[in-house]
Parts: sequence; structure tokens; C-alpha cells
Amino acid sequence: MGKISLLVCLLFLIISRALAQQNVDGEIVINLNAISGMQFDLVRFNVKPGVKVKINFTNTDDMAHNFLITKPGSRLDVVNDALKLEEKGPQMNYIPKSQNVLWSIPVVSTNQTATLTFNAPNQPGAYPYVCTYPGHGFIMYGVMYVSNDVNMPDLQTDQNIPPSRRESKAGQGLGPVKATPLSDAKAHHVSHPYDLVPPFLYRIFMDDSGPASIAVSLPQDISYCWDTGSCRLRYAWTGGFLDNTAIWKGHVDANAKILGTVFYREASEYPVIIGNSDKQAIAEFKGYKLIDKYPEFHYQLNGVDVFELIKPKNDGNGIVRNFRIPDAGNTVWFSGNSTNASLEHKSSAGTWVDGRLKLSPQDAKQFSITTTNYSLLFNTRRKKK
Amino acid sequence: MMNLKLCRFLLFAFLLGTQDLHSQTRAESSYTVQNIAMPHGLMAETGGLAFLPDGRLAACFIRGELMLYTPQTKEWKVFATGLHEPLGIHAVSNSEFIVMQRPELTRIRDTDSDGVADHYETLTDDFGISGNYHEFNYGPVQDAKGNLYIALNTASQGGSVRPEVRGPLNPLGRDMTQGIYEMYSVVPYRGWVMKLPAGGGKLQPYASGMRSPNGMGFDLKGNLFVTDNQSDWVETSTLYHVKEGKFYGHPASLVWQKEWAGRNPFISPVDELDKIRTKAAVLFPQGIMANSPSQPLCDITKGKFGPFAGQLFVGEMNRDRIVRVMLETVAGELQGASIPFIDGQGLRKGNNRLAFAPDGSLWVGQIAFGWAGDQGVQRIVFNGNLPADVQMMNLTKNGFDLTFTQPVNKSQAIDANNYSFRHYYYKYQRKVKNAGADVTDQQDIQTVPVKSIKISPDGLKVSLVLGELKAGYVYELKLGDITTAKGRPLDNKLICYTLNNLKP
Repeated sequence: MGKISLLVCLLFLIISRALAQQNVDGEIVINLNAISGMQFDLVRFNVKPGVKVKINFTNTDDMAHNFLITKPGSRLDVVNDALKLEEKGPQMNYIPKSQNVLWSIPVVSTNQTATLTFNAPNQPGAYPYVCTYPGHGFIMYGVMYVSNDVNMPDLQTDQNIPPSRRESKAGQGLGPVKATPLSDAKAHHVSHPYDLVPPFLYRIFMDDSGPASIAVSLPQDISYCWDTGSCRLRYAWTGGFLDNTAIWKGHVDANAKILGTVFYREASEYPVIIGNSDKQAIAEFKGYKLIDKYPEFHYQLNGVDVFELIKPKNDGNGIVRNFRIPDAGNTVWFSGNSTNASLEHKSSAGTWVDGRLKLSPQDAKQFSITTTNYSLLFNTRRKKK
Repeated sequence: MMNLKLCRFLLFAFLLGTQDLHSQTRAESSYTVQNIAMPHGLMAETGGLAFLPDGRLAACFIRGELMLYTPQTKEWKVFATGLHEPLGIHAVSNSEFIVMQRPELTRIRDTDSDGVADHYETLTDDFGISGNYHEFNYGPVQDAKGNLYIALNTASQGGSVRPEVRGPLNPLGRDMTQGIYEMYSVVPYRGWVMKLPAGGGKLQPYASGMRSPNGMGFDLKGNLFVTDNQSDWVETSTLYHVKEGKFYGHPASLVWQKEWAGRNPFISPVDELDKIRTKAAVLFPQGIMANSPSQPLCDITKGKFGPFAGQLFVGEMNRDRIVRVMLETVAGELQGASIPFIDGQGLRKGNNRLAFAPDGSLWVGQIAFGWAGDQGVQRIVFNGNLPADVQMMNLTKNGFDLTFTQPVNKSQAIDANNYSFRHYYYKYQRKVKNAGADVTDQQDIQTVPVKSIKISPDGLKVSLVLGELKAGYVYELKLGDITTAKGRPLDNKLICYTLNNLKP
């Protein structure tokens, strides 16, 4: 961990040094961009006292931003002074008249660049820079270190930059979602105010599934993704559960990332067919009930109620899908995935016909399909664990 | 109405009696902001707040928790988990909630009485999802008949759609030329307010033209209000008085209206769109009053929360503010003024959701989710000390009447130097390509002189006559150094009145 942060620090130093170049006029040139999420791409840089500094400020964000450099320790005062401008704010570019403001660039529109040239203060210190557009200044800031020392403080603990740019993922409760009791929270991050003990679920955006999906973590390191749009299992995997980091940051298109290996993918778009029709049934999701914390999904196919509850196989080498169709009124066909030879399906009722399971309405009242993947069965390393 | 008036009078009389107990400094402020301790491990980005009949608070959070809080014991308890970006909650009973999730409106119940939800029933998922990150869903709010209303955000130009979407996709909902910088609606009813009839039935489109309608609420008379956030086509943030079948200005949603089949609404002449548009009841000037208004909540406390019963409070995301809205009917339509309600008193920014507790305190839940904001829950308590504020602003034939919460110093109140009026308007227009998403231009900014001032004998009401009144303008008033008769400075000095209609 220490090594990693040191590396990040070094990398950052290199980057900020690279961005702060001296031009032919002897000016230190800083290229600084406003980027999406109300941030500066460069959150800190270091210049020597009294040197000539030229800042090229480019707004690459779709919001408007200004740029102010303030006296040490006065960023928040300036941000609040800008808010107090109230009706005068728009005309004044949200730049308050204050002795605390050393230099400023008025509001810069998207894809525009503005330049600011000044002599760095002779007094060493941490000089904040900030956007004072209403609301932005609380999170959109950075710091110009004026110092003869080329070293800046440790990035992880630098109080002069936004927390989101110094904290590790774990500090924000981001990173892989692990089934970890709170008592072990020291070793891992905490994502919720409760223990994550399988089975548990998230409704969340998933890869290779519809936009209304449910990810379920089961015991035995098994997880699956169920699509409430088409009302069917999409895939199951083994290993870890999910990394929700990208989604939980917000303000961006993102999916949860599965942490493991997919061992089952539903091949059929219509796994359950009621009656002898191959026509697409109208599938309607009705919700789910938690039974011993396992979700039992309820949906209708052409108006016929179907219930589905998925558990891990006791040996952890696959899944058991428990169906209930109380009132099928017709022959029920099930086809999951008959093309992948490493999969083996067994059913509690009905007969297999060309890779499809045929069930009478009576059989369909309650039946289960157990799917084993031999890649799990033969994986001795996984067994040892 | 009579009851309300009586209530207010009694409260007023009571407060006048107790006021001398307090000092006359700003520190005597009428409201106190308290922080609610949140449970360890919770990312308290608040999507919804509601009070249960038994007085507990229900709150949902962005990572999917629905938690219950008992104010007496200060204990949080997990009720439901795994929800997809819940952004609104309606408490049906002590064990049943209706929650707006990303994919659906869900009834969540505890059926075995163990205090934890076990039944999640889909009430409706009859709207599209493209998977674009900005397609947030808001509500539900319930009218007196039991109908539920929700609002569907448009998609952001900053994101795409997923490889698999829900609902038919209509590419006309996004203009890929100039409109690359505009919010869009390529799956059904994005940009609409929807109605779910009481007692079941299909989700129905109700009103269109929304951009980012992060806030819904009813007033005491059953009027539905929805806020919208400034940017393309919404020059400055709004409070809409939403009525069935109306269009409120953002064109993307129109692709889901039969009359617009096959047409690209983005390139329709702006004046054609302007003609069919219903204007906002209240405009919140950008960078001045609010940049990202959230939920409007009617003061149902009958005076428990101070002298603003029946008015609306609206959360603001970008700063430590809640805005108060004073509405009146002029020429048959609601319009009115906005004024900061609470600023600089310890409230955080990111004020997303509001709810009144049975004791009349106002609870506020914060969110950021990648924008300017914060997290947590706070509680605002009226401490009985009557605010020094403009209680109501009314349009007159030739100016405005200001009614104060308590008598003001008469010599200050008749001094014209204490009233700085400006007017300006916001153009209904397509955003210029590349203009910053939150850049807004006030048009025709003019100072408006005050011609005469009268004050009522009781010192409560000031009548201002202005040089000229123009429909379609915001009248912005900055009050000067006016104190109450007892010398307390006014709590808030900036008021913006949206003058859609002149007094007939």
C-alpha cells in the first residue's frame, strides 16, 4: 500500500513537473484544465517564490468555470464571498471584490482558453486556486505551492486538495463489494451500514444484460445476473461479486464490474415457453419476494404466473433453479443452454427432448433444474480454497 | 382558510408576547439547523425522505438502502436494501413504502412483521430506460384521490445509451447535429411527468417538456408543482405548475406525443415551440437565487414551522440554501416570488429532499452524486422567535405589496433608497453550441425606480409603486437596511418576482 501511494506520488510529481515548463521568456507555464465532475485536472503544482508564472486555463467541461488564486487559507472565505454577491454575481463573473483574491480569470466557456500571467508571491506558502461559480468552489479547487523546496506534501494527506483526489478508493467505501462482516471492516472498505452476507442483491447496471437488472450474490462464491426486462437469468459467475466503484461515483455512464468468471450464460432468449408456441411471450416483471433472503422472482408470460428462485448447488459447482408455475394450463418447455458441452442439466421433473425439458402442467407446478459446470467441478485449486 | 388565518394570528400574538425574552441580534435567528448522526458505513447520499404515521423517518440512499430512523432514540435501522438509485419515497403505512427506483416504481412491504422488507412488488415499469446515467426518476407524489405522479429525466449529452435498452428507441429524440449538446429523449416518456391511476391501471403520460425535473410536490389546494434545472432550453431554473396535457418547454419529450410523430422537435421554429409552451410559475434566477432547485415542499405545519404556512420550500443543491416560494393567482394563473429561506446557518449544500416531521421540524437530506453537493440529513427547527422577513409579495396594478412577518421600522420602510428593483427576462431559446451548460444570460437588465411608497398603520405592509411593469420579466428586489420595529435586521433581502401576467 505504501509503495503504491509513493508510486502515485512520484507519478504525480512527474506529471506536474512536466506540466510546469519554463518558456523562452523565462516564465513557468502551467497548463490547467477544468474537467468534468467539477475538477481541475491538475490539483497542485509548485513554483519558486517570485518567478513569473503563466497559467493557460482551458475549460474542457460542459459547465462554465472561472479561476481565482487566493491568499493562503482564504479559499472558503472567497467562495462564500462569491455566494454573497447574489444578484451581482453573474455580472461580476462570481469574482468577489476581496483582498483575499490575488489573481483571477473571468468565467470561461466550454472549449475556451484564457491566460493569466503574474509573479509568484515572494512569501512561500500554499496558495489555493478555485472556481467560484456558485457551488463549484466547495469541491473544485487546487493549490499552488510557492516554495524553494521542490517536494510537495504527501498526496494522500494533502489537505489543500479535494478529498476525492487524495483518498484511496477504500476510504470512500468504493472498490470491490465483498461479503465481509463489519467487524472485519478494518481490512476492507465498508460500502453499507450492514454486513454483506450472501445471499444479497443489487439492482444495478450490468454488462451483457438489459438496463433493469438484478445482481445476486449467493453462498459458495456464486453470483448471477437476472434481467427483469426479458424476465430471465442472463448469466452466472463464480469468484468475487461486483465492483461498483464507477457507478457509485455518479455523473457518468457505468456498469458494475463482475469479479469472477462466467460459467453459465442463458443461450435462449425465451427459456420458459408455455404451450407449443415458439412465439415470443409477453414477459412482465411483477417483483420478488425474499425467502430466507433469496429472491424469488415473480413474472408473467402471456399472463401466466411464473416464480423462479435460484440457489447455488451445495457443492458450489453450479446452480439450482427452482421454478413454480402454479397454473400453466399447458405444456411447459424449458431451454437454458444446450450448446455448451461443459454444462450438465438435471431436472426434478419432466423429460428432456432434444436438449429441451418438457413438463406437463402438473410437473410445472414445482420443478427444479440443476446445472453443473464441469470447469468448476474439475477446478482443484478452487476446491482447496 | 379561516382556520389558517386564525392559527397564524394566535401564533403571532403568542410570539409577540415571548419575543422580549430574546436578544435582538442576528444570533437570535428563528431557525436552528441540527445535524443528524448517520450510521457507520452509510454513504448518506439522500434520494428520498418521508415520515411514517408513527413518527419515524424513512430515508433512501443512493447505494440502495431504505433506512428507518427513530428520532426519540436516534437509532437507524435497515429496512430494505439493493434498490437501484432510489430517488423518492412515499410512506403508505408503518410497514409499506412506494419507492421510485431507476427501473421501476416499487411497493416495498414487510409482510412478516420482522421490521425488514421481504416483498418488492413492481407497481409500474412502463417507461423506457436507455441506460444513460442522467435518466433519473423522481417522485412519487400522491394527490388527494390516490393517484401517483412520477417524473422522468431526459438523457445527458455527456453519456450514451446502453447496447440493450428498454422500450422502443426513437432516434428523433436526439438531434445529432447541433443537438449534440442537448439533453435527449430516445426512449418513451423521458422528459415527462407520468400519472399512475389510483387502484391500478396503466402508467399514463401527463405533461411534457421537462429537462431535469428533480422535485415534485403538491400544495394545500392540490396543485402539482415540479422544478426543473437550468441548461439547454431552460435558461434559468423553474418551478412549474403542472397541469395535464401541457408542454413546459424542453422539446426532447415531444417525440413521444402523437402529433409530433416523425418530426424532429429540436429544429422546430422556436416561436412555434414558444406558442405551445406553458411558462414557469416561478423562475429562479441562475447564479442568484438557485442553480439546481430540488424538491418543492408545502408548509403543512399550520404555523409549527413559523409564519409561512401553505407556502413552498424548495431545496437548492449548489449552496447552503433553501428557497421559499410565495405564490398568488393573477389573471387566473399562479405566479409569484422566491426568496432565500435559510442561508449561512449551518445548512449543508446538496439539499435534495425535504420532509416535515409531525413536530413541525423540516428535515433535509443531501446528495452530491458527482455534482456539487454533500451527504447526510439535517433538521431545521423553528425556535419560536418570529422571523424578520417578507411574508408575502403581491403584485398590484402599478407595483408590489410587501407584507412582513412583523411590523417594520416605518421611517426605514418608506425610504426609497431601501428598495433596489431591477427587471430582466430570460429568453426561451436553443442553447448556443459550445456555450457552458450552466451559462445563462439575463436579457434587458434595467433598474426600475420606485415612484412612491406607502406603509400600513400597523407597519406590516408596504405598498410600492414602480415606474413601469412589464409582463414576461423577473422583478428582482434587493432590500436595504430595513429593520423590524424592534430593530432586528431582515433575515433575507433578495426577492425575485416572476411577472408572467399583469394584474387585470
